[in-house]
Amino acid sequence: MSAAEVGTTSPGHAGPGPPGESPLVLAVDHLTKRYGSNTVVDDLSFRVEPGRVTGFLGPNGSGKSTTMKMLLGLAAAESGTATIGGQRYRDLADPARTVGAALESNAFHPGRTGRNHLRILADAVGFSTTRVDETIELVGLAHAADRNAGAYSLGMKQRLGLAAALLGDPPVLVLDEPGNGLDPQGVRTLRDQLRASAASGNTVLVSSHLLAEVEHLADDVVVINEGRLVASGALEDMQHAAALVRTPDVDQLVSALSDSGATTEHHERETVVVRGLSLEEVGERAFRAGVVIHELSAQAGSLEELFLGWTSTETPTQGGPPEPEPSRP
Amino acid sequence: MSYLRIIRAELRKLTSTKMPWAFLAVLVVVAATTATAVVWGTDMDGSKTFISTADDQQSLMAFAANAVVIAGLFGAVAVAREYSYHTVIPTFLAIPRRHRAVLAQYVAVAIGGAAVGLVGAGLTVIAIALTLPTTAFGFLVSANGVVQVLAASAFAGAAGAVLGAGIGAVVRNTGGAVTGAVLVLVIAPPLIIQLASGATSWVPNTLANVLSGVGHDVSTPTALVAIATWAAVPAAAGLVTVIRRDVA
Repeated sequence: MSAAEVGTTSPGHAGPGPPGESPLVLAVDHLTKRYGSNTVVDDLSFRVEPGRVTGFLGPNGSGKSTTMKMLLGLAAAESGTATIGGQRYRDLADPARTVGAALESNAFHPGRTGRNHLRILADAVGFSTTRVDETIELVGLAHAADRNAGAYSLGMKQRLGLAAALLGDPPVLVLDEPGNGLDPQGVRTLRDQLRASAASGNTVLVSSHLLAEVEHLADDVVVINEGRLVASGALEDMQHAAALVRTPDVDQLVSALSDSGATTEHHERETVVVRGLSLEEVGERAFRAGVVIHELSAQAGSLEELFLGWTSTETPTQGGPPEPEPSRP
Repeated sequence: MSYLRIIRAELRKLTSTKMPWAFLAVLVVVAATTATAVVWGTDMDGSKTFISTADDQQSLMAFAANAVVIAGLFGAVAVAREYSYHTVIPTFLAIPRRHRAVLAQYVAVAIGGAAVGLVGAGLTVIAIALTLPTTAFGFLVSANGVVQVLAASAFAGAAGAVLGAGIGAVVRNTGGAVTGAVLVLVIAPPLIIQLASGATSWVPNTLANVLSGVGHDVSTPTALVAIATWAAVPAAAGLVTVIRRDVA
């Protein structure tokens, strides 16, 4: 595990939920998936709470889609569990009315109209054609609903996928890269819909590469890299989780923090960014080591900076190799 | 959840693309070819003996053997394209107990295959009926004979479609599934007969002719069971494969 992972796991968001928990909590518990000798998801644990939008982040090939597929019963786990309200997806009494999911932007027959695509799903689970029409309106696809999906732009395909997810008006949404290809208006509409869904108490899990968009959208983030959890928790807390320290004794400070589990990044000549320790802990450790400090303040970082720090294998970290904090159940 | 709704959804899948029209075009071509044979075709000696008796005419209109192959391709394409286009993902999200979805798909494909067989046989019978007046022979097949040809074609079409669907579920690639269906229904039977001449009675073509009343290698009930077995084996393999494999 790289040092960049340290101190970023929000313990309150990991581990399995207790029996009888909210039917809207998504719980991934020590989930592992291998394809041959390649471990794509590695002992992954996190929780997604209702009433919040959770961004699911990671580099390409980090295991996000595989994790979502295991959550939705489309792929089998080697070990561990992924549950919705404590139940496997396939065991839900009415999965189509519980979870709305959009995993592939191209999951349509190109020679079938968007409306027929939705009618097929509606037939299968007993939704009315009126509901199909309502959902088409909701995602702004009414003008193209009777055209073949093969003629759709990527953004229109995303809207159709979103319509399929929303068909059952489900309280849980699991969306894989739903913003890809959407125009700014579409992104705004999607964001508003997902925010409104979470505000009404629903659970929203959204994977995305659009970090700026996630920054606007998500309350919580779960970040994985090479199949392993590297960070999870409230985005706002994470963005303010770093301490900016200005000191003439940079090396001495780094040395003083090396066994603390913190990561340190030497930015400018006398400036160090410390992650994984509170301001108080940094100050006390510096005091005990006799390090002169000219400034100690919280540093707000962009999600992009944080993401690159979490997922980069070569970070400018100068501190020692600390151990990750355990996840809080 | 009503199981009939799932079957209805699967039937809508089959009818909401241009695939049925493509297969209808194939059936029209087959019927037109038969009509051409009636009008201009002759035996080796230049006569038209091949349409001179009721049995000869029934043999010509016995579409069931064609129905197995054409419906086999229909079933293979219908199922394999679900995986090629990833439409199986929303299906399995809506119906996470996959065996229910797969069995509904087999039922829908069987209905579609039966329609392929019935329409193909119907067009062939019509083509023969319309073109016989251009020859010295009248329409000699009895009503019962025509009904047997139609029924045999519908059953053979249903069985062929399920066979193809099973191959499609195993292969999960449209081109590969079509190739697999051709291998099983067109290429493998003659090879099997070459290896074991006693197997002649048990290949789909022979069994379909028995059902059509133009072959007598086995009894009709035996032919029904045997042709159903040809369909059931790949269908079972497809079911097990779909249940066990991850959805890509």
